Amino acid sequence: MSTAVKAFLNSPVGPKTTHFWGPVANWGFVLAGLVDMNKPPEMISGNMTAAMCVYSGLFMRFAWMVQPRNYLLLACHASNESVQLYQMSRWARAQGYLEKKEPEAQQ
Amino acid sequence: MASKLQAFWNHPAGPKTIHFWAPTFKWGISIANVADFAKPPEKISYPQQVAVACTGVIWSRYSMVITPKNWNLFSVNVAMAGTGLYQLSRKIRKDYFSDQKDDVASLEG
Repeated sequence: MSTAVKAFLNSPVGPKTTHFWGPVANWGFVLAGLVDMNKPPEMISGNMTAAMCVYSGLFMRFAWMVQPRNYLLLACHASNESVQLYQMSRWARAQGYLEKKEPEAQQ
Repeated sequence: MASKLQAFWNHPAGPKTIHFWAPTFKWGISIANVADFAKPPEKISYPQQVAVACTGVIWSRYSMVITPKNWNLFSVNVAMAGTGLYQLSRKIRKDYFSDQKDDVASLEG
């Protein structure tokens, strides 16, 4: 166990490097999204949420391709993509975009 | 000039690669924040803007230590830190300093 901990601490992508702390900071987006799920949809910024959805989609690919490869970052952006898409659906529903169209005959 | 364009095109972080396009679209976050400057401070989300600001600062460093080094990613994160901190300052000013003004106004009233 102590050797595993040492290996982690001294890894080229370990906590002594920003390869670790960059993704950790990014988890802040996921946590922020989770916290904001408790707020009413009117508080959601459509601009920011849409930008986040595009951003995390692209950065999943980036995390895979960058050297050293960053699995922590990949997991982070996959999680963020899920959270932000959910927030986007709440925002869209509140704006009325997802309402079913009433049949013409009933109007 | 042609050789410079070719060098750019074939760069390991050039437009043929995700290393170019991921940071380029990350500008969308700063642009979204700038668009939200026009909205009232009440709608700003503390957790989201703290995440934007902290991520911007830490990623400015991360951009410099990855392979390939990524100046596009560096600049977008500096901008992100800037817009995040500005949004936070608007919200904090509203929440913690305008109350004093309100109190003063109510005392005067």
